[in-house]
Amino acid sequence: MTDTAARQRYFEDVAVGEELPSVAYPLNVYRLVMAAGSNRDFNSIHHNTEYARRTGAKEMYANTSFLLSTWERCVRDWIGPAGTIRSIRGFRMRSFNYVGDTLRVHASVADARVEDGAGVVEIAIRGENSSGVSVGPGTVEVTLPRRGEEQE
Amino acid sequence: MTGSTRTEDWKAEWQPVIDAVGRDFSSGQTVFGADPVERGAIRRYLEPLEFDCALHTDPEAARAAGFDDVTMPYTGVLTWTIPPMWRPGEVLFDSDERDAQPVRTPINNQDMPLGPKTTGFFGTDIDIDFVRPVVAGERIGRRGNRLLSCVPKETSVGRGAFLKWESDVVTENGEVVARIRIGTYAYVPKNETEASDD
Repeated sequence: MTDTAARQRYFEDVAVGEELPSVAYPLNVYRLVMAAGSNRDFNSIHHNTEYARRTGAKEMYANTSFLLSTWERCVRDWIGPAGTIRSIRGFRMRSFNYVGDTLRVHASVADARVEDGAGVVEIAIRGENSSGVSVGPGTVEVTLPRRGEEQE
Repeated sequence: MTGSTRTEDWKAEWQPVIDAVGRDFSSGQTVFGADPVERGAIRRYLEPLEFDCALHTDPEAARAAGFDDVTMPYTGVLTWTIPPMWRPGEVLFDSDERDAQPVRTPINNQDMPLGPKTTGFFGTDIDIDFVRPVVAGERIGRRGNRLLSCVPKETSVGRGAFLKWESDVVTENGEVVARIRIGTYAYVPKNETEASDD
């Protein structure tokens, strides 16, 4: 069995209520600067404390693309490479995710169903920082391969 | 001038935007990202996330999964549809003031032709439907920019409005790969509104 196959999750293995491994993202200046450079959101509120404070924030804070992709990584880590992502809903930034804090993404299986032959899983997901839920809660709808498909 | 009158004044400035709900603010043309999706940019996108998935880093694994090359992370539909910051012949920076902003940037509310001038801007919420993964070598852009709602509101950071926009993400062939509804808050920061109220 290849490493990729070993990491693959199948629809039949999923249980509603199952928790996905949480992912922690310490938010330091270095990471926020790397995020801005790589996802092209150069708004100064995300990498310049003085500027961010003049816009009413307490500090520089993580940008939208970065936060959105923290959800994708949490989900992808769990669904494996053969899973697909159909939608992201309820991604709402409730409070700023400031530098100097840690964002933790938590997720669990909210629903699992077969739809037109596809294994569809709804994942409830949220980001939390030291002040509570800061992103979401929302849902990510994914598909997972079904074991029978291997022999087809 | 009373406080309540001032409140009505600043909210009234958003009325033209409220009246424009339903309008497509795009020029009718697709606005493409600065560059095609490519392996190096994907790798850099993954780094601050410590995002380890062979579909995005290993062309062989991606091909084994049925793709022509590595795939862009789904959420890259935001990044890879951002137009360039600078084009040949343009001046991007014209000040050495410490926090000076570029002359223009695609990440703000500058292009909004209606409503009050705002200097604060950030994303608030997003819903995305993904039609299919995007593969390295493809170029994507935003088609359409329909205003779905405008709600003026004073928040802890200032006075402004929550705006919601809808657009399709398309390839150069016009194929829809995702549909996005994105919310933003465009505002005048509190220190500026207090100064104007004095």
